[in-house]
Amino acid sequence: MRRSVLLLWLLAPALLGTGCAAVKPWEREILARDDMAWDPDVLEAQRQAHVYFSKEASLAGGGAGGGGCGCN
Amino acid sequence: MRGERQSQRTRRARLRRRVQSRRKRARRRRARKALQALTTSALALPGLAGGAAAQSREERFTSEYAYSFYSEDALPRSKVTAGGETDRYQIQTHQLRFAAPIADRLDLGLDVAYETMSGATPWYVVPDADGDALQVMTGASIEEARTDALLRGSYHFDSGQASLAGGASFENDYLAFNGLLEGERHFNEKNTTLSGGIGFSIDRLEPTDADLDPLRPTKQHRQNISAFVGISQVMGRGAAIQSSLTYQHARGFLSDPYKRVLVEGTPIADSRPDARNQLAWLTRYRQHVSPLAGTLHADYRFYVDDWQITSHTLELAWYQSLWWSLRLIPSVRYYSQSQAAFYGPWFDLPRADGLYSSDYRLSPYGALSWRLRAETAFSTWRIDWRASLSWERYLSSADLALGKVAIENPGLVSFNLFSIGLTARF
Repeated sequence: MRRSVLLLWLLAPALLGTGCAAVKPWEREILARDDMAWDPDVLEAQRQAHVYFSKEASLAGGGAGGGGCGCN
Repeated sequence: MRGERQSQRTRRARLRRRVQSRRKRARRRRARKALQALTTSALALPGLAGGAAAQSREERFTSEYAYSFYSEDALPRSKVTAGGETDRYQIQTHQLRFAAPIADRLDLGLDVAYETMSGATPWYVVPDADGDALQVMTGASIEEARTDALLRGSYHFDSGQASLAGGASFENDYLAFNGLLEGERHFNEKNTTLSGGIGFSIDRLEPTDADLDPLRPTKQHRQNISAFVGISQVMGRGAAIQSSLTYQHARGFLSDPYKRVLVEGTPIADSRPDARNQLAWLTRYRQHVSPLAGTLHADYRFYVDDWQITSHTLELAWYQSLWWSLRLIPSVRYYSQSQAAFYGPWFDLPRADGLYSSDYRLSPYGALSWRLRAETAFSTWRIDWRASLSWERYLSSADLALGKVAIENPGLVSFNLFSIGLTARF
């Protein structure tokens, strides 16, 4: 299972890169909108990640690190 | 007469000069705004300035505050042993965040969170006369407080950035120190970004009332290291996708010192393996829909670990811009996990490996949550403000799981989460 996940992930860049014309800096007005950010509200993203991490068995994903806690 | 004409000519000349001056100022303002928009768009691209976890470059001083109230539903009396506590956890959280550019290429950020917790928590599960599961709750209400702080410094290169962060979390029974190093590099005219990082956490547990409970350990340790790699790709003028893999290895005391599990009719201490390997694959997509003035956020996460838990998470959000800078954001999240290899509501026979847990967080279940958020932006005294208000409802049950569940854990949680936030940029 883990091997197939890794393989899929390694193929992802190739799949993503194909068929995408490069967007020039002056064409990025929409991409620069705050609602296009991965996490438009950092505090909300931290809060939700903490709640789900405390109540579910899964790792948040999307980054390394993060502090431990008792989290009953 | 001549004097009057002279005076009229002077007034007209003054008026012309004023109008010209206003036009010049307006032209300068427009040019400044255009330049600002271009600079911002070049720096704040999703997945370009901000990688899989990194934040975008700070161009202004930012101060944020948020308050949230988390409240778990009381358990139905029918799911709790006779006379047991039914009220559950409530948590009030204050979050503060400061970020500022301190040099041309360097910015600093500080995150502080303080939360107070109170209520009873699930202890272990017993079968009733019909074989249905009943929850035994902790007798006394727990009162706890936690303070968490993280300091982050980021250095920006022409084609990427590197960040170093360190933090600590303090509770009366739990102390954790953590750090991380991460970076990102842009390629393909900043349309592709590769990111990666490593992190660690060193934790010490000193469970309360260990002297009163012979099954509770006095002092224990656990550590974890984690690493992630991610790729972000701009798909068009209004679309971007990001995919990242995060691996974490934890070792040490990974059991819950406050939980028990019923084995052959006797409650014993929760006992889990002393190592855990976890892998999360998170993919996120952003698509702006100009005719509707809205943006779609679609996130999917696949998770697997060597405790034999797998999970799927799908989250969809719609950012709808309305009038007067008002924005409404409805979202929905679905989550489903399988059980850990050593989980059971109770055990009629001993296991060969001696591992047992009846923690609902390791049980098989599914969860559905929905959230509504409203936010608005306004400016006063050269400060740009953003105010937000949100509510989330979370329900979990065995019926929502992807697979079939024989016995639902009675301790599964449902909660409400209310939040307000205020951000100032100056």
